[in-house]
Amino acid sequence: MKGRIITAAFALTALVAAGCGSSNSSSSTSSAAASSGTSTSASTKACAATIGIEGPFTGDVAVLGQEQLAFAKLAVDMDNKANGTNITLVQGDTQLDPSQATTVTQQFTSNSKMVAVVGPAGSQEVQAVGPLFGRAGMAFITGSATNPDLTKSGKNPTFFRVVSRDDLQGPQDAQYIVTHLKPKKLMIIDDQEVYSTGLVSAMLPVFKKAGITVDHESVSQKVTDFSSIVAKVDPQTTVVVLPWQVAANAEQFGKNLAEQKKKATIFGTDGTQSSSFTIPGSYVSAFGPDINSIPADAAIATAAKAAYPKYGTFGPPVFAATHVIDEAISSVCKSGQTPSRANVLAAVKGTSEATSILGQPIKFDSHGDLLGAKWFLFKINDKGQYKLVQNS
Amino acid sequence: MRFFIQELVNGLTQGSLYALIALGYSMVYGILKLLNFAHGDLYMVGAFVGYFVIQWFGGSTALVIPVPLLLLFMFLLAGGGVGMLGVAIERFAYRPLRDAPRIAPLITALGVSFLLENSMLLLFGASFRDYNTSAFIPFSSGIHIGVLNISLTRILVIGLSVILMFSLRILVDRTKLGRQMRAVAEDREAAEMLGVNVNYTISMTFFLGSALAGIAGVMAGLAFNQIYTLMGFVAGLKAFTAAVVGGIGSIAGAMLGGILIGVAEAMISGYISSTYTNLIVFGILIVVMIVRPQGLLGRAPLQKV
Repeated sequence: MKGRIITAAFALTALVAAGCGSSNSSSSTSSAAASSGTSTSASTKACAATIGIEGPFTGDVAVLGQEQLAFAKLAVDMDNKANGTNITLVQGDTQLDPSQATTVTQQFTSNSKMVAVVGPAGSQEVQAVGPLFGRAGMAFITGSATNPDLTKSGKNPTFFRVVSRDDLQGPQDAQYIVTHLKPKKLMIIDDQEVYSTGLVSAMLPVFKKAGITVDHESVSQKVTDFSSIVAKVDPQTTVVVLPWQVAANAEQFGKNLAEQKKKATIFGTDGTQSSSFTIPGSYVSAFGPDINSIPADAAIATAAKAAYPKYGTFGPPVFAATHVIDEAISSVCKSGQTPSRANVLAAVKGTSEATSILGQPIKFDSHGDLLGAKWFLFKINDKGQYKLVQNS
Repeated sequence: MRFFIQELVNGLTQGSLYALIALGYSMVYGILKLLNFAHGDLYMVGAFVGYFVIQWFGGSTALVIPVPLLLLFMFLLAGGGVGMLGVAIERFAYRPLRDAPRIAPLITALGVSFLLENSMLLLFGASFRDYNTSAFIPFSSGIHIGVLNISLTRILVIGLSVILMFSLRILVDRTKLGRQMRAVAEDREAAEMLGVNVNYTISMTFFLGSALAGIAGVMAGLAFNQIYTLMGFVAGLKAFTAAVVGGIGSIAGAMLGGILIGVAEAMISGYISSTYTNLIVFGILIVVMIVRPQGLLGRAPLQKV
C-alpha cells in the first residue's frame, strides 16, 4: 500500500511538473520575484507593471510560441535594464486555439495588475479575444497575426500589430513568382490553418490572372512525410508554394523533392524563414527581416541566439511588440503617472519609434496597423544562408 | 504505372511504421484489454533516442563509426530503451490499476501520454530535430528507374519492418513466451493457475510492443528526417485506427491495418487530393466498423452462456 502511495505521489508530482510547461499563467521573467507576479525589486519599484504574453507555448506549433516567448523575455530583460523599470511578464499558453486564448484572456483581463499584452500569435485567436481586450480597455500587440479583417473590421479597438497584412504580402508574393520565376504550372499547398489558407486566398487570383495552372493541395502541419504529394510534382510544375508555419516541414518537403529527383523551386512564407529550412535555391517571403543582417541588432541577435538558437521570423516582431509596451510603460512612469490600462493604451497609440529591431520605424495608424509595414523576400544560397532579394 | 509504384512505396513506408506501432496497441489490448494511449509517445521517444545516438557518434555529417554500426546502435538502444520504458510504465502506472474499473487505466494512459509529451518538451524544447539522413545514406543509393526513385532508406524501413513483423509472429506462435502471452490473453486467471507467470508475461508484452514502437520511431526519423515532441500523437492515432481496422488484439490484423491505411493515404493523396486523405481514411474506418465490427482479421467475441 505504501508503495502505491509513493508511486501515486511520484506520478502526481511528475504530472504537475509536466503541466507547468503548459501552464496558462506561469511567470516567464528571469527573476524569482517576477515568478510570483508581485515584483519587489527595491531599485526599480518606482516603475513596476505586469504585462502578459499569449502564444502557443505547447502544442503543435510550440516551436513558434517558444521562439516568441524567448524574444519577449529578452525584450523585457533588456528594457528593464535600459529604462530602470520592473516589468513582469506573465505567460499564457493558447496552443494557437481560440478557445484556449479566450480562457487566457479572461484570466489576464481579470488580473487588475496587468496593463497590456503581447500576442496572441494567430489571427483566429485575435478574432476571438479582441472584443474581450476591447471591453477591458487593454492594449494588445501581436507579432504575427496578419489577417486584414483584424484591423479593418473595427471589432478590435485596442489591437495593434507590428507586421504587415496578408492582403499586402500575399499578392506581392504571388506577383514576384509570376514575374521572376515565370511558372506555367505551380503547386500551392496550404497547411489547413487560417494563416495559410488566408495567404493562399490572397495569392490565387494573381496566379489565375496570369494564366498559370495551379494544383492546390492541402496538408496538415502535423504531417511529416510529403512523399505522396511530391510524387504529383510533374516536370511542368516548376514552383511549389508553401505558406507554412513550420520550417522543418518545408525542409522535409525539400528533401522529399530531392529524394524523388524533382527540380521544382520552393517558395515559402514567414514560418519557413528559419535555420531549420535551408534548401538551396528556395525563396522565403517574411513579415520580418533577418536581424542578423541589421548591424544595429547585433547585440539582440547574439542574445537571441543564446536564448533560442534556431530562431526564425516569429521572434523579432514579438521583441518589437514587447518593446513598444515596455517603452509605453516607461513613458507613463516618466510623466509621473502610475501605469494603468488606460494610460498605457494611450501611450501605445502614440508610439513613434524612429527605428526598431525590424529595421524600420514603428508608428501605428488609427486602426492599429503598422504604418509603412515592410515585406521581405529572401533566397537561400548554396550554403543555406538567407540573402535578401527584395523588400518593400 | 511508375507513379503507382512510387505511391505504393510511399504508402508502404508509412504503412510499415503504422503497422509496427499498431502491433504494440494490439498486443497490449489483447493481453490487458487496455487502450494504451501512451503508445504513440513511445514511438516519439524512440525517434529522440535515435537522434541522440547520431549526435553521440559525431552528428550526421561527421560520423565516427560506419553507418551500419550506427544503425545497429540506433535500433538496439531505441528498441531496448523504449522497451524498458514501456515495462516501467506498465509496472508503475497500469499494474496498480489492473483490477480497477476499465476507465481508470484508460485515463491513466492518457495521463502517461501527456506526461511523456510534456516531459520531453521541457527537457528538449519545442524545436524540430533533423536526422539529416541524406548526409550518411545518400539519396543516390537505392533504386532509380526513369522517374521512379526509391531511396535506400525506404527500402530499409520496409524491409526491416517486414522482418520484425514476421519475427514477432513467429515468437507469438512458436515460442514458450508466445504461448504464455496467448494464454494470458485468453484467460489470465486460468493461465495463472496453470503456472504462467502473469506479471512477467505482461511485462514482456509491454517490452516487445514498446520496443517495436521505439524502432519505428528511429525508422520515422531516418525516412522523414524531422522529429518533434508531439510526433507521436498523429502517428499513434493512425496506428490505433490501423489496429482497429485490422482487428484489435490480432497481430496479423495490426499488420494488415497498418499497411492498408498507409497505402490508402498515399493513393488518396496521389490520385485524388491530399486535402481529402483523412476524410476518406476515417470514412473507410467507419465503413469497416459498420460492416465488420471486430475488424478485418479480428475474432467476434464469444457469447458466454
